[in-house]
Amino acid sequence: MKHLKFGIYSFLIMAILASCSKPAESIQVSPELFHKSVDKVMEIQIHDIFSPPVASRIFVYPNIAAYEILAQKSSKFKSLVGTVNELTAIPKVDSTQQVNLELSALIAHMEVSKSLIFSEEKMEVLQDSLYNVWEQANKVEFDASKAYAFDVVNHIKQYMSTDNYNQTRTMAKFTVDTDDPTRWQPTPPSYMDGIEPHWNKIRPFLLDSAQQFKPEPHPEFSLDKDSKFYEELMEVYNVSQNVTEEGDESEPVQIARFWDCNPFVSVTRGHFMFATKKISPGAHWIGITKIASRKTNSNVEETVNAYTKTSLAIADAFISCWDEKYRSNLIRPETVINQHIDPDWLPILQTPPFPEYSSGHSVVSGAASVVLTEIFGDNFYFEDDTEIPFGLPIRSFKSFYDASTEAALSRLYGGIHYRAAIDNGLKQGKNLGHFAADKLNL
Amino acid sequence: MIKRIVFIFLIIVSCSKDKSDKVDVENNVEDATFINVSSDLTGIDFSNDLQSNGQLNIIEYLYYYNGGGVAVGDINNDGLDDIYLSANEKPDKLYLNLGNLKFKDISVSSGISQDATWSTGVAMADVNNDGFLDIYVCKVGNYKGLKATNELYINNGDNTFKEEAKAYGVDFSGFSTQSAFFDYDNDGDLDMYLMNHSVHSPYSYGNAELRSKSDALAGDVFYENISENNQTKFVDVTKQTGIYNSAIGYGLAIATADINNDGFMDVYIGNDFHENDYLYINNGNKTFTESSDKYFNHTSRFTMGVDIADITNDGNLDIVTLDMMPYKSDIFLKSGGEDSDKVNQIKKSFGFQQQYARNHLQLNKGNHFVDASLITDTYATDWSWSPLIFDYNNDGLNDLYITNGIYKRPNDLDYINYLSNFDFAKYAETTQDSLELKLINTMPMLNLPNALLKNKGDLAFERTLVDENNTSTYSNGAAFSDLDLDGDLDIVVNNINAKASVLENKTSQSTDNNYLSINLFESNKSLNTTGAKIYVYADGKQFFKEQSTIKGFLSSSTRQVHFGLGNITKVDSLRVIWKDRTQSLLTDLKLNTIVNVNKGETTNYNYESKKEIPFNVFNYEHKENSFLDYEREALIPENLSIEGPSVVQADFNADGLQDLFIGGARNQAPVLYMQNKNGTYSIKDIPAFHLDNIYEDVDAIAFDIDADNDLDIYALSAGNDHKEGDPMLEDRVYINDGNGNFTKLNSNLLATNGGTVSNFDFDNDGLQDLFIGNRSIPGAYGLSPFSFILKNKGQNSFEIVLKRRFGMLTDSKWADLDNDGNIELIIAGDWMPILIFSYNKSTGKFDNKTQQFGLDKTYGMWNVINVADINEDGKLDIIAGNTGLNFKWKASVEKPVKIYLDDFDKNEQLDQLIFYDFFGTYVPFASKDKLVQQIPSLKKKFLNYNTFSKVETVFDLTQKNEADILETKYIYELRSMIYLNNGTNFKPQPLPKQAQLSTIEDVLVDNNQIIFTGNYYGFTTELGQSSSNPGGVISSSVKDNFEIVKSLHLPKDFSGRKIVKLKEGQYLVIGNNGKSYLVN
Repeated sequence: MKHLKFGIYSFLIMAILASCSKPAESIQVSPELFHKSVDKVMEIQIHDIFSPPVASRIFVYPNIAAYEILAQKSSKFKSLVGTVNELTAIPKVDSTQQVNLELSALIAHMEVSKSLIFSEEKMEVLQDSLYNVWEQANKVEFDASKAYAFDVVNHIKQYMSTDNYNQTRTMAKFTVDTDDPTRWQPTPPSYMDGIEPHWNKIRPFLLDSAQQFKPEPHPEFSLDKDSKFYEELMEVYNVSQNVTEEGDESEPVQIARFWDCNPFVSVTRGHFMFATKKISPGAHWIGITKIASRKTNSNVEETVNAYTKTSLAIADAFISCWDEKYRSNLIRPETVINQHIDPDWLPILQTPPFPEYSSGHSVVSGAASVVLTEIFGDNFYFEDDTEIPFGLPIRSFKSFYDASTEAALSRLYGGIHYRAAIDNGLKQGKNLGHFAADKLNL
Repeated sequence: MIKRIVFIFLIIVSCSKDKSDKVDVENNVEDATFINVSSDLTGIDFSNDLQSNGQLNIIEYLYYYNGGGVAVGDINNDGLDDIYLSANEKPDKLYLNLGNLKFKDISVSSGISQDATWSTGVAMADVNNDGFLDIYVCKVGNYKGLKATNELYINNGDNTFKEEAKAYGVDFSGFSTQSAFFDYDNDGDLDMYLMNHSVHSPYSYGNAELRSKSDALAGDVFYENISENNQTKFVDVTKQTGIYNSAIGYGLAIATADINNDGFMDVYIGNDFHENDYLYINNGNKTFTESSDKYFNHTSRFTMGVDIADITNDGNLDIVTLDMMPYKSDIFLKSGGEDSDKVNQIKKSFGFQQQYARNHLQLNKGNHFVDASLITDTYATDWSWSPLIFDYNNDGLNDLYITNGIYKRPNDLDYINYLSNFDFAKYAETTQDSLELKLINTMPMLNLPNALLKNKGDLAFERTLVDENNTSTYSNGAAFSDLDLDGDLDIVVNNINAKASVLENKTSQSTDNNYLSINLFESNKSLNTTGAKIYVYADGKQFFKEQSTIKGFLSSSTRQVHFGLGNITKVDSLRVIWKDRTQSLLTDLKLNTIVNVNKGETTNYNYESKKEIPFNVFNYEHKENSFLDYEREALIPENLSIEGPSVVQADFNADGLQDLFIGGARNQAPVLYMQNKNGTYSIKDIPAFHLDNIYEDVDAIAFDIDADNDLDIYALSAGNDHKEGDPMLEDRVYINDGNGNFTKLNSNLLATNGGTVSNFDFDNDGLQDLFIGNRSIPGAYGLSPFSFILKNKGQNSFEIVLKRRFGMLTDSKWADLDNDGNIELIIAGDWMPILIFSYNKSTGKFDNKTQQFGLDKTYGMWNVINVADINEDGKLDIIAGNTGLNFKWKASVEKPVKIYLDDFDKNEQLDQLIFYDFFGTYVPFASKDKLVQQIPSLKKKFLNYNTFSKVETVFDLTQKNEADILETKYIYELRSMIYLNNGTNFKPQPLPKQAQLSTIEDVLVDNNQIIFTGNYYGFTTELGQSSSNPGGVISSSVKDNFEIVKSLHLPKDFSGRKIVKLKEGQYLVIGNNGKSYLVN
């Protein structure tokens, strides 16, 4: 709601400015417009239902496009060519043309985003309203900036098209081996296929390979009461039973729900089953990046820098995590508990449709928190209002690490992960985050 | 009146002239047999009005729009059936029949409760044996503010009733759907099965074991009638009878019948959702055994209504159950289809039986049923409630009337998407009611006309119009009765938010068909004859009906038993078999009257005791490895990895006895069976075979490859699970030492996914040449792999004389079809015609003579071909096994099934886009959800299901014209055929209908009979398994008139692959992924 008002407000200001008919003042691009474009992507992601790994890919390419445009003239930020795998230099801006790089960066951001989502018309609504204003404000600059932006967009689209995404669409589905008691099985209520079984074949952005941060193995599956696995299994069950007793208002339930970040929760009511949608774990951390950028009054290039580097770490975190998920193929707590302990048990959060180990939210939160700490500093207090549109309250955190620890633990409270997936996942993410931060010279 | 009808008829015809040639029942106005008589004329102004509110609506109660029932029966014994209509949110109504379709509302004077409790099913039965019909009304009690107990109205005999449910012990309060009163222990009084439903939504499928857990509100209950000193009393004997009474029983459908013809009434319970339907076979000792698995290969999934009657006039009771599959293409594409293959697999692993979300027409085969809903086109009538099987046009064949309609359509996928975008953050306690109402208001509505399916005989039904106005309604319960006593059966239908329909049947005026109506009485007053069997014998035919009233949905129909007789003018006799195992025989019956049969003098009747004949198992079991082709290629219709086993019959050790080589699936070694002198077989251990257990065999031949006068083996490897060139697909040759000891020939053979191998010395050089036909390019279903004709050059060397992409081959044969001395090679497979290539001695080449032989339009899904002179005219005919007609796809030369093969999304993998004719409109075979997974760009093009539902061509889908597509293939013919050779070309003749009930996988011709085996489990869940005919024998008594003469004695779900004749009168039938059997 806030953003919408801002939009109308800036529209009015610009309209007024335009009507003053001073010749050709340069178009001002505020960091808020970048937030708005990112918010729009997030909103469409929710509508179109992208799985968490795919959502992370959708964030990163528009950011790279915007970043590379700005880096050309930046004193502070260097191009990612040579750092990001296989990325080549974008077309150079023609200095004879009246190109506003910040404007080109924003146009490129929206345009690359549009090509990655499905509901293009939702992005076009935003584009059209802005294009109108800019065209009236300074047509020459707008046209030149747009033309340059589209050159870059084509370059980035070409780069995007070689990351193996299209090929992974039609690779074999994940075959469930129903005879192996340790292997992952589809879970209620929609019993969806395991999503993105070939995500480790996506070209990583910073990593040498998907396996680079392979976590240590999880405790071996066992129903022996003295085994480590069984101990962790019972921890999930007992925590969940306690939390359920404490009720919806208890801290663990609040934490679990706050960090649910499941883009597709199936709900059954009466005759039908439908999904309630939320943002993905990656999107939540993109939201935190926005909060930090705003709090520090970051300018356009600082804002784009924060988005770009955080989204690069998140995207690689998903590749790393999914690599492990379909290597270990571990069964979810819900399946084991229903089979062997309590047939009526339901986790507080709905089990998402992919193998258990390691926890995606833990890996992603670990990686994002390191990069954000390197950009904005440690002990960065913030109030996280990312989940307000989904009816959840604001939570405040002392630091990014504080938030990532809580995000990881939320999976245990939610009944969808064992302890090892959380602890080792967070470690996996932080190691990856440090590697990314080093490589990005943070 | 008549003038007015003609006028309407003209208007409708003239309005619809410009319509295309789509199958559209709306155009067949002249067929309308019924007149929807207005309530002003009938006096029946009942309407089941529903007004959703925040407390109670389809979100809070999933059966909110299931509607009300109809019971017809003669409550005052004046010969006219009266009508009871149940309502959900209004009082029920009782109407007295005054004759000539005039009715009087006696709801108040009769003492029927006029409160607005939620009534569901209603039954009329003489509960207390006093000669007057009583009424039992089911209620939803104890749920979301609904409070009620079921009611039993005892008839006082003067058009008034007294509610005595409590006194009789049947004042159940829970989630009742419908009751069935029948005599389960043959003691002369009526017991009651009370079917209840569940109200919770299934979150997880749980385990099927949950059905053993009792539930007091949702579980079914059985009451035994214990009458003492003229005092009727019911006691709950649920536990003792052994029926399930759990909360996973979503009981919506009930009918009773003597399914297995042993004199004891059995019960069919249709359950909604994932729970199986139940078939309770009466053990005759006051217990039931749930036997659905034993009797059915699969049932409908969301079963809503059931009726049981003889549809084929073979004296066996068939079963129709209804589901919710749409028949309009746009609705179909917008609604959820079958379960995904994965979910289907999961449900099975949880212990649930195979179910499909479509109507079922289960043909009674004596000791089991086979579904014939697809071959009869009765499988899709939209969201359907009430099936009524009766002969509406008095032509001697039972027809099918079906009510349908859901007032709000919760399975509309766009609506489900809308829900998903709904802001549930606001879904708090306080706003819940208003939000739900908003959600319900946006839920799509669609009313359709009810369906009338006219039985044309020989498993053919024709969709025809019910009434001349083709009225669209939301209809639930329905019952039939000859309300105006004019000799044809009228229908009463309970509608939601509309007046109940009284459909007057005009058959007796418009046709000369004859009929016979029968009333049964045990003594002059007792009405408890339910379950009596009536056989009418006339014109060499037998007509059979069982007296039963509980049928359809929430309803009970007339007690009068009505036989249409067509143009039969004389009935030889009529036999009634009473429940107490006595019978009455009547002769000299006058047609077109109502016959009152009083039990009176009877003779004893003995039911044949049926012994189950055990299957004769042969000691070979094929074990298929698990590989799901459609996980690798999501758009394909069938699994090609389950094609074996192979079998070769030959004398391997030159002892004059035919031995057997059987090649197994992957991880199963081939087995050699040597025949002993006494006709038994012993397994001979061959080390080379064990070493080769990693290969999957689909075909093999025995011939003397090395010219040492013994039979060697060429084994064709397949499996579709490895890429071409993979060593796992390499064929093998086993060299015989003359004594049946085999060693593997060390050579490089083809590593392709094989389909068929055959041998013949086509160039007459004394060396056996080979044809190797391949099945597929693994990973690229649809494309034709190379197949090869190999010339034997001697010394184990072969030369390729022809290499061509013929198609996806399954079988090949060599024969001189035109008796010209030149051999022909006949090959067949999927998406291709039966091809004929003739060897030309002078050119040394093979000429394609398919068109000359008249087979160029035979594109099919051929599994097997055989060549034999079946009609003994000296010319070789072709018998070809196809997919059959009991299949979701329909095909003809005019409307073929099409498969478009191309890499539409340019991601280096082949996409298969299949289109088929769905009730007159082409539709894509793959769902939108599946398509967008494979071709993500389609998600941008089709943002909602509504736009997708308009897709009729590959251009609509991909913007590519047919001509620009890499390859397009067709199916014109799905029938299994005989092609009769008239010397120069072939005359097509389909195998009899019963042989089209499933795929035919192998055909043997012996003693001028065709012995076939079939069934196939490789189709995706959306197409469904083919399992309605494991095998049979076809013969012709009259020239070229082929008929099924018997079924092979095989398990009902047997998936046959090969037939071999072992000796005179004994055949070995080898199955895929299962046992093998000896049959005769």
